[in-house]
Amino acid sequence: MNIEIDGLTRCFGSVEAVAGVDLKAGPGVFGLLGPNGAGKTSLLRMMATAVPPSSGRLRLLGRDPGGYGPRREIRRRLGYLPQNPGHYPGFTVAEYVEYVALLKEVPPARIRAAVATAIERVELGDRRKSRMRTLSGGMLRRAGIAQAIVNEPELLLLDEPTAGLDPEQRVAFRTLLRDLGQRATVVVSTHLVEDVAAACAQVALMDRGRIVFHGTPDGLAARGAGQHAGDTPIERGYSAVLAQARS
Amino acid sequence: MTGPRLLRLYAAGRRVPLALLSTAVCATGLRIALLRHWDAYGALQLPLIFEAAAAVSVTATAASPFGEPERVAGRLLPYLRAAVTVALTAAAVGLLTAAGTGGHLSGGTLDVLRNVAGITGIGLLCAAVLGGGLSWTGPTGYLVAAVYALYTQWHPPVLATPWLWPARPPHDLGGALCAGLLFGCGLAAVTVRGARDRIGDPAAA
Amino acid sequence: MTAATAAPAAGRTRPTAGRAGQAALAGLRMLRLELRHNAMAWLLPVAIGLFWLTTYRRDMAGPPLWNLRAAGLQTGSVLDFAVPVTGAAAWMASREARHRVTDQVTVTARPRWVRLLAVWAATTVWAMAAYLGCLAVLYGVTAHQVGWGGPLWWPAAVAGASVPAFSALGFAVGTLLPSRFTAPSAAIAAFFLLALSTDLINGSHSAWQIAPIVTGPWDQGPAGGVATFYPFAPDLSIAQVMFLAGITLALLAALALPAGSAGRRVRAAAAGLVCTALLAAGAAVGLASTGTMNAQGVIDIPALHNAAEDRPIRFTPVCSHTAIPVCLNPAYSGYLSVTADALAPLLDQLAGLPSAPTRLLQEAVTFRQDSGNEVEIRPAGPGIGGAAGSASFVLPVQFPGPSRTPAQLAGQLVGAYAPDLVARVVEDRAGASQAQNAVARALLTAAGLHDPADASAAGNGPPTGGPDAGPWPVVTPGTPAYAASERFAALPEAARHAWLVRNLAALRAGRITPEQLP
Repeated sequence: MNIEIDGLTRCFGSVEAVAGVDLKAGPGVFGLLGPNGAGKTSLLRMMATAVPPSSGRLRLLGRDPGGYGPRREIRRRLGYLPQNPGHYPGFTVAEYVEYVALLKEVPPARIRAAVATAIERVELGDRRKSRMRTLSGGMLRRAGIAQAIVNEPELLLLDEPTAGLDPEQRVAFRTLLRDLGQRATVVVSTHLVEDVAAACAQVALMDRGRIVFHGTPDGLAARGAGQHAGDTPIERGYSAVLAQARS
Repeated sequence: MTGPRLLRLYAAGRRVPLALLSTAVCATGLRIALLRHWDAYGALQLPLIFEAAAAVSVTATAASPFGEPERVAGRLLPYLRAAVTVALTAAAVGLLTAAGTGGHLSGGTLDVLRNVAGITGIGLLCAAVLGGGLSWTGPTGYLVAAVYALYTQWHPPVLATPWLWPARPPHDLGGALCAGLLFGCGLAAVTVRGARDRIGDPAAA
Repeated sequence: MTAATAAPAAGRTRPTAGRAGQAALAGLRMLRLELRHNAMAWLLPVAIGLFWLTTYRRDMAGPPLWNLRAAGLQTGSVLDFAVPVTGAAAWMASREARHRVTDQVTVTARPRWVRLLAVWAATTVWAMAAYLGCLAVLYGVTAHQVGWGGPLWWPAAVAGASVPAFSALGFAVGTLLPSRFTAPSAAIAAFFLLALSTDLINGSHSAWQIAPIVTGPWDQGPAGGVATFYPFAPDLSIAQVMFLAGITLALLAALALPAGSAGRRVRAAAAGLVCTALLAAGAAVGLASTGTMNAQGVIDIPALHNAAEDRPIRFTPVCSHTAIPVCLNPAYSGYLSVTADALAPLLDQLAGLPSAPTRLLQEAVTFRQDSGNEVEIRPAGPGIGGAAGSASFVLPVQFPGPSRTPAQLAGQLVGAYAPDLVARVVEDRAGASQAQNAVARALLTAAGLHDPADASAAGNGPPTGGPDAGPWPVVTPGTPAYAASERFAALPEAARHAWLVRNLAALRAGRITPEQLP
């Protein structure tokens, strides 16, 4: 298992953003669904080692990120796209991805090829010399994905990766996700349930800091039988589970 | 009630309270410095340092945290920019003058007014050209040049251009005109188009 | 987006072979990236402009002496570069927070302190490159103007060491307090610190001399007489470099101290480095406080002093072809013609007389600390009235003070030494006869000088008054001595000289009356 979580919590002051989550995930694409404020981003940030948990047990890639050495080892094999990724506006796309590759300790001899590959995979090859400040929102998101995958991560955490992508790009992105999921554990946090239905083998639904559903997209869709809220079976399942959790 | 509320929100977004605090710290520093006896050179140089510090506090508020959404939000923005900048400059002059009252503040109120206004003008022009975050570059560079110009009053070759007005007497018309002109140009630039912010640049902290 | 691409396996396993080489290569790549996007590059025009305005212009307006150029370089360029580099470093340090990339870079493997160090290094490299360029220009131009001696590197090293120190200071502040007010506050605070520190200097024992803009006894200012007859003693410069290096290392090592910035061993090493560096900086301050100004006008720190620097530099003087040769230390060779031209009319009259000096030789000055910050500077040797044979003198540029035009220098020199030179020849001392006074005055006026007591002569000829002017013989208008003096001065030079050759011994003995003067 690349992700092993037991009773994980995270508090910000008096607010308990993540309230006792248990989760296990191996290679494949894992969808994390939930309404705004459900705790998805907080859970993802803990898995990315950006913030430590308040309590509970977290093991990533077979290591405990609590120690500096194991955490650094995890980070070498990690890719992370935050919900609002920042960037240095004066950097070109290639420089931005190269900078992150250097920070991820990709061996210098491989950086040039790794950067070129990552940029090609998000179809920004023709904009590799463009400054970040000149990119559109969707292109910035793709550049963010490129920096996340530049080190061929074994654990890839993507927070709202398809926000701002046009329909064509979203379809292409799902293909990329499936490909990445062949070798790595990919966790995708999103509001867009159709992305989950199309690309994820496993899905978890969070609400108020807890996981209220964990299973397959088909399983989630099946929970929506007889519901009317939503256009697709999985959207109806999403609504049904949330309604049940809140009742 | 809308006007004052808008002004308050605008000021909060531009970190005006922090700028006022920073200016108050400058005034306090000047007051403490004036408790000590300085030689003629130090007595001229130290107030100028505090005046420049107060001026960069004023110009640091030029940076917008909102960017385009704010620019297209209405016609009141230029008035807000001008009002806040003028008010902060006046506050800086007032606080520094008050700090110098009863102390040996060389040059007096006229000097404080001229120096703060002129250096603020330089900072505002930098904000318009380079961006609000870099508005300090001009004033700090000017400070070094101005202090050197003061030094040349005792050690030739003398720098007597009115553009380096801190080295000229407070009642000097040329210096006052240069300082006033820069303040006017800076204020106009920031009022009309605000501090430069580039697309894709996250807001100033 | 492309799904099936043969991506290179990147960073899966930690490389074991050539790890240091890989780390160095990665570091260089990071530095290259940071250099391309560093705010200091945009601030270089400000720093270079300030250097031109406050350092280069001032240095070039002064005499072309290595010691003065080096002192001007140190004081000026520290201020010129400290302010922009402090601000730029503080600005760059707050970059991650301003651009909201903190989460992205925090979850990467490379330690935080390495990441920050690359940004600091890029800022420093830009500032240092600009400083070295300015140094090269200033010293290059000076090398073309100065014919003897060589550049003083210690003052340049102090100014160079202040660049990384102020960069580290700004960077540390920017890392701690990432705000829009941080960069300007840090830049102005750096300037304030530098300005304030010198005001607290009281005498040459002050620990505040550690401030990198201090090149010697602070209130004396750069003096042309320092480090020309004696080697430059770098005691204070060594302490300053030690202080700046200590501060730089302590501030940079402190970046690795926060939890999560580095591994336990690195953090422990950083803590040790912070302590060691602070101790070194403290020791440097302590050393500076033990300094005293020595007779050569430089700060002598006993623990750092090399006694060899107290031995005078051997040199072959450069001499003029005047009737009595005027010889200067070759460092001042640029002043030979103006000095010789100024003294020539007088020397022509005195040459060949029995008590006239055979040559005029420039001598060193000595320095003595008075109360407070006052410094007394006086000629080291006996002066004009010294031993028979040669007479010694001091050029005005050996004293601190504003730069002088050649005309000013000539006037000052003649005013200071001509009366003494004449007095030496005619033995015009206290108790001298009226004839001696009359002859002395006649020789001076015949050389084109004007008696400061003679109001009618005011405004004519080179200035002969001033604080350094030698005492003129007292000859009251309307007296027989005055008439004799006017008469003797009006003689043709050859007749005057011939009379002196014949009668100088009697004149010196006081056996000549004013009426006997031709």
